[in-house]
Amino acid sequence: MKLENNKYFKAVVKEAWPYTVGAVLLALLNISLFIVTGSAWGISGTLLNWGAKLYQAVGGQLQNWFYYSDPARLRALETPFFSHGGSLMNLGIIVGAFLASLAASQFKIRKIKSVRQVIAAIVGGLLMGYGTRVAFGCNIGAFFSGVASFSLHGWIYGIFIFVGAWIGSKLLVKYFM
Amino acid sequence: MVEYRLDCLGEACPVPLLKTQKKMAELQVGDILVVEVDHSCAMKNVPEWARKEGYNVEIEETGDGEWDIYIEKTK
Repeated sequence: MKLENNKYFKAVVKEAWPYTVGAVLLALLNISLFIVTGSAWGISGTLLNWGAKLYQAVGGQLQNWFYYSDPARLRALETPFFSHGGSLMNLGIIVGAFLASLAASQFKIRKIKSVRQVIAAIVGGLLMGYGTRVAFGCNIGAFFSGVASFSLHGWIYGIFIFVGAWIGSKLLVKYFM
Repeated sequence: MVEYRLDCLGEACPVPLLKTQKKMAELQVGDILVVEVDHSCAMKNVPEWARKEGYNVEIEETGDGEWDIYIEKTK
């Protein structure tokens, strides 16, 4: 029998896992992470540090940035890439997703369909990036980890992300369909 | 019975689902819509929606990371 017809291979590698399996795994991994590193999972703060490092590499100056006037944030920025937990985790997500899509033979570089799609991606990315900094996190750091640590801000974030998604879907139907 | 094709290649969620919903509304009972997608979550949410509507759904993997979703308008 060919490997791709094996039912276990299909269920584990090929097909999407049920939502409940994902939820339980995420919860267990977040608990383990908290035990090992002492902080909950987050993604977007590290992405900002990657961007800031890139900006520094091309000669950009950060000392006047309000965001980096916080010593803890500056320390995170100055930690070398391979000693920084957040950077390693983000790298792990990218490498892991890549390997998973290869294992399922689902890796594909998608064609760009229109200029509109490019503009939407850039504007959307900038808005999301800015949003994560004023909300002190993304749907991982602010929502997922916020709710898991019984913090009210996680729930408030959750309510407003629904409002945002509702407005976003209306705009999507109006301008992109 | 007519077969229509809907090209959603290169479109990210939820665009394939929204386009499918719009197109299905135009079809006659008995017609088939083939939705071409290359976004793995569209392969999940498009069939989910169609089955909930009571339509017959079949998925065919046409290439690496590409699928044809066959939806038959049954009512």
